[in-house]
Amino acid sequence: MKKKKASSILAIVTALSVLAGCGGGSSAPAATGTSNGSAAQGENKSEPVAISIMANLHTPEVPSDMIEKLLEEKTGTKLEIQWVPDGTYDEKVNASFATGTLPQVTYLKNAASLVNMRDAIRNGQFWEIGPLLDQYPNLSRLKPEVLKNTAVDGKIYALYREVPLSRQGIIYRKDWADKLGLSAPTHIDEFYNMLKQFKENDPDGNGKDDTIPLTDRNDLVYGAFKTISSWLGTPNNWGEKDGKLAPEFMFPEYMETMNFFKKLHQEGLINQDFPVTSKTDQQNLFITGKSGVYIGAMGDVSSLHPKVVEVNPDAELDVQNKIEGGPNGYGIWSVPGYGSVILFPKTAIKTEEDLNNVLTFMDQLMSPELGNLIYWGVEGTHHKLEDGKVIPSEDTKLTDREVKPYQAIQVGGPLTIEGFYEPKHMLPVKAKSEEMITENNDYLIEDPSAALDSKTFNEKGVQLQEMIKDGTYRYMLGDIDEAGFQSVVDNWLKSGGQQIIDEFNVSYSSSK
Amino acid sequence: MVQDKTISSRIFDIVNYTLLSIIGLVTILPFLHVIAGSFTTVTELAQKQFVLFPTVWSLDAYKYVFSTNTVFRSLGVSVGVTFFGTLFSMLLTCLMAYGLSRRDLDGRNFIMFMVLFTMLFSGGMIPTFLVVKEMGLIDTYAALIVPTAINAFNLIIMRNFFQNLPEGLEESAKIDGAGDWGILFRIVIPLSMPAIATISLFYAVTYWNTYMSAILYLNDAAKWPVQVILRQIVILASGLAADTSGMDEFVRPPEQTVKMAVIVIATLPILCVYPFLQKHFAKGALLGSIKG
Amino acid sequence: MSETAVKTGMRKSTPKIPESGRMRRIIKNRAIYLMILPGFLYFLIFKYIPMSGLIIAFQEYQAYLGVTGSPWVGLKHFERLFTEPMFFTILGNTLLLFFLNLAFYFPVPIILALMLNEVRREVFKRFIQTLVYIPHFMSWVIIVSISFVMLSMDRGIINELMVMAGFDKINFLMSSDWFRPMYVMQVIWREAGWGTIIYLAAMAAIDPGLYEASRMDGASRFRQMWHITLPSIRSVIVVLLILKIGDVLELGFEHIYLLLNSMNRDVAEIFDTYVYTAGLKQGQFSFSTAVGFFKSLIGLILVMLANKLAKKAGEEGIY
Repeated sequence: MKKKKASSILAIVTALSVLAGCGGGSSAPAATGTSNGSAAQGENKSEPVAISIMANLHTPEVPSDMIEKLLEEKTGTKLEIQWVPDGTYDEKVNASFATGTLPQVTYLKNAASLVNMRDAIRNGQFWEIGPLLDQYPNLSRLKPEVLKNTAVDGKIYALYREVPLSRQGIIYRKDWADKLGLSAPTHIDEFYNMLKQFKENDPDGNGKDDTIPLTDRNDLVYGAFKTISSWLGTPNNWGEKDGKLAPEFMFPEYMETMNFFKKLHQEGLINQDFPVTSKTDQQNLFITGKSGVYIGAMGDVSSLHPKVVEVNPDAELDVQNKIEGGPNGYGIWSVPGYGSVILFPKTAIKTEEDLNNVLTFMDQLMSPELGNLIYWGVEGTHHKLEDGKVIPSEDTKLTDREVKPYQAIQVGGPLTIEGFYEPKHMLPVKAKSEEMITENNDYLIEDPSAALDSKTFNEKGVQLQEMIKDGTYRYMLGDIDEAGFQSVVDNWLKSGGQQIIDEFNVSYSSSK
Repeated sequence: MVQDKTISSRIFDIVNYTLLSIIGLVTILPFLHVIAGSFTTVTELAQKQFVLFPTVWSLDAYKYVFSTNTVFRSLGVSVGVTFFGTLFSMLLTCLMAYGLSRRDLDGRNFIMFMVLFTMLFSGGMIPTFLVVKEMGLIDTYAALIVPTAINAFNLIIMRNFFQNLPEGLEESAKIDGAGDWGILFRIVIPLSMPAIATISLFYAVTYWNTYMSAILYLNDAAKWPVQVILRQIVILASGLAADTSGMDEFVRPPEQTVKMAVIVIATLPILCVYPFLQKHFAKGALLGSIKG
Repeated sequence: MSETAVKTGMRKSTPKIPESGRMRRIIKNRAIYLMILPGFLYFLIFKYIPMSGLIIAFQEYQAYLGVTGSPWVGLKHFERLFTEPMFFTILGNTLLLFFLNLAFYFPVPIILALMLNEVRREVFKRFIQTLVYIPHFMSWVIIVSISFVMLSMDRGIINELMVMAGFDKINFLMSSDWFRPMYVMQVIWREAGWGTIIYLAAMAAIDPGLYEASRMDGASRFRQMWHITLPSIRSVIVVLLILKIGDVLELGFEHIYLLLNSMNRDVAEIFDTYVYTAGLKQGQFSFSTAVGFFKSLIGLILVMLANKLAKKAGEEGIY
């Protein structure tokens, strides 16, 4: 009896360990292959340096290792890239950071993620690389004015991936405009008139009053709102008023923008659901010809065009950027010049020698050869060259899987990588949009707060911004009036906004 | 079984069947839309929005999804994790639940309270991550199973089922000389098949839906279960990824049809589990198992 | 106490003559303790050790300083929560949604299970069961985006139908009035079928002889439901109810976050969405943990009350 019991216990224990073994065992080959494995390998061959990277994945699938292998070959490294889905990137970074498991090269998703890391950076968790950049021929080409925007207390800790400063403009149905005898709008009144005509004069000729002229989405920044606010002369996030910084919504131009939207909404010139419309649904309205004007990144025209034409073969698209609305002429808001930033945690990079290895690799990533490789892929396979310009392969499935994900680990960009290939746009309107994006550089409205710091903003900025966002939407939909919006602003000031203003101004005057 | 043939009973049946049919239809419509959407073209989906019967059929979405082995591989991982995970969890849960169902156990209420307490208070992501890391589970499939091996809710329900078994059964087994292990495996578990089926299903579904553990504990993307791929595609295709990093222009989001195809692919396997368990929910299933 | 109990059960492989009745019972039940042990260890290692992380609610936690190095701030984060101007709105919203959920969602799976239980055609029953269980597998992102397509003001099917029938369009998505019904209906739609499983399992344990006997007595179908089926699943209902009450402040973050917008925030903001924007988005783990702690505390108090009530009512409760 007793023996029987003992043996059954034994059986259970074995079963448990077998099960546990099964769970973990099937992964055995790769399980040991993390940092230890690669480090050991590095020593054995004495050549390749192990570099670990965490980057966010913007494509459905992790890329094939073709480009990774090429990179390893050309840089003499052994790469270990941790791809993390875009939607949970920040969580993964936070968890890895808190548990001391960040890799050597850590990409931070955007400016907001950088703000959240500021305290840790100040505390010396990451290598300061500013003074070292001169030693690296390619890294030294990064723009000081952009690096300054990533700085913490004036010191530079991060490399960056470049993004165009301002891609904003409108994409509209040229065939509709032509039909109604409208030319590209250059003033906000003409723009308004275009919407009005699209609404009233049945541009799609289906005999029904069913056009929604402007399609917008639930985004006050990357949607239409901020761009129109720029036309009307509103500052970008913060502006100078009597020598002091003040938030954009305390400027009369902001109110003017809200009034403009209120009018559009009342007159049915914009989709009624725009405060809750997703980007997909917004684009759908445009693609299916329900709507004729789209405000956002002008480059979107290349993905919109084929879809619009498939629904309506006669459709023609055009882009336009310079629309004036204020006394100061055309202006357009800009981003601080970087998309993601790259940090180098001290937990993963122990010595300056290791740091040198990592930075050497980053420098190589910015070389003309590798810079082009990770962006455009392999010549002949992913693109071909014509007159020194790149024509990407038409097999987008292939490039999506083998090249596109690597664009996330780019350092610098077209402005900073020497000999970076320019694309040859097969679609004329796309080429035009690129020209206009370059043209926008002469009319930028910069965000003066980009390099500034405020403790209260770091703590409560998002929550406070939410208050303003609510107030803005409610005003535009006619839920509150001007006094109502003013009380939202007062509330903002009371809940910490005033502190943010004060702190930014201290930071502002000390940076001048 | 004696059939009830009264008029009121007939009316009851008619009303009941009709209502259930309507409910069934209402619940299934959106899923039909997803299936239909996965078999049509991007254009048709954009134009019609709510498609139930595509006028243009297309397999492009599935061709796209299956043009690499990523989805297949992740399905394999999910099936493996779900299978072994459910076995492991059921073993631990049944043992503990049975132990706690014994009314003569000292400390029973304390342990139950301790279990219940974990449903309310949790230390959060980072401390759990540290424990998982200390146990050397990072980058192993075990990391998807062991840290969630027992679900307190399931344990409590299981114990409740065990507790509701007639006490006489155990008593008589004891008189026949059966030990505690024998009672559990030869009497209690066979008598609790509806509960075992239910809780197994709950665990299977939880393991199938494993997402956050995979993101946190697996650095090697080759080990990702299907939910990671699914969510990635759904989030990208729904335009929920913010434009803040300026990557949106370079990388086209997956098409809506692809999104729907992946939903179908990632959902069908787990949907198939249920019908196999349903026989345990039939009326009188328990009695049948006692007799058998 | 229980820890020593378990240890004792483990160590004493050869039982000595016990001194007290309790010791005797513990030794007699040593196999039972052994059964509990793996699960007990699981809870200790994966639940109770990490629970030490809760102390960051009383700190100004910085990841690089860790739990041991972060400065203590006492109840600062709780003060911030309680002095938040929206606090009572959020509390009210959360509680109201919980009660709506309890009143309108909780009974639905029970009713549905009763209806399914009355179906005699096994094939039809299994078919409907499978259908109603499917929505559980669709993520909120999908459900909310499908609802959007149907409810949109611009060309949503529902509003088009309303216009055809001669009514005005209703702005379901951006209205404070429609948020709650929309939320509850989506919860019912997604979870009701899934919720029936547990009740059906409990009903499978009912002796069919009971029904036959009552049919002989001429009991109607409703009477059978009331007097046989419901009492047989009562203890499951009670346990689920207690557990549900513990979840009072947990309403499904993802779902509500997707439904939330500037126009319905006054009724839709709950603790989870609030803490997401006010804390997590800016990496304020201490504040987020403090809010979580508060929620858990409320849950704990309510669960203990509910358990006590259940015991008073003659049920076994959970502990």
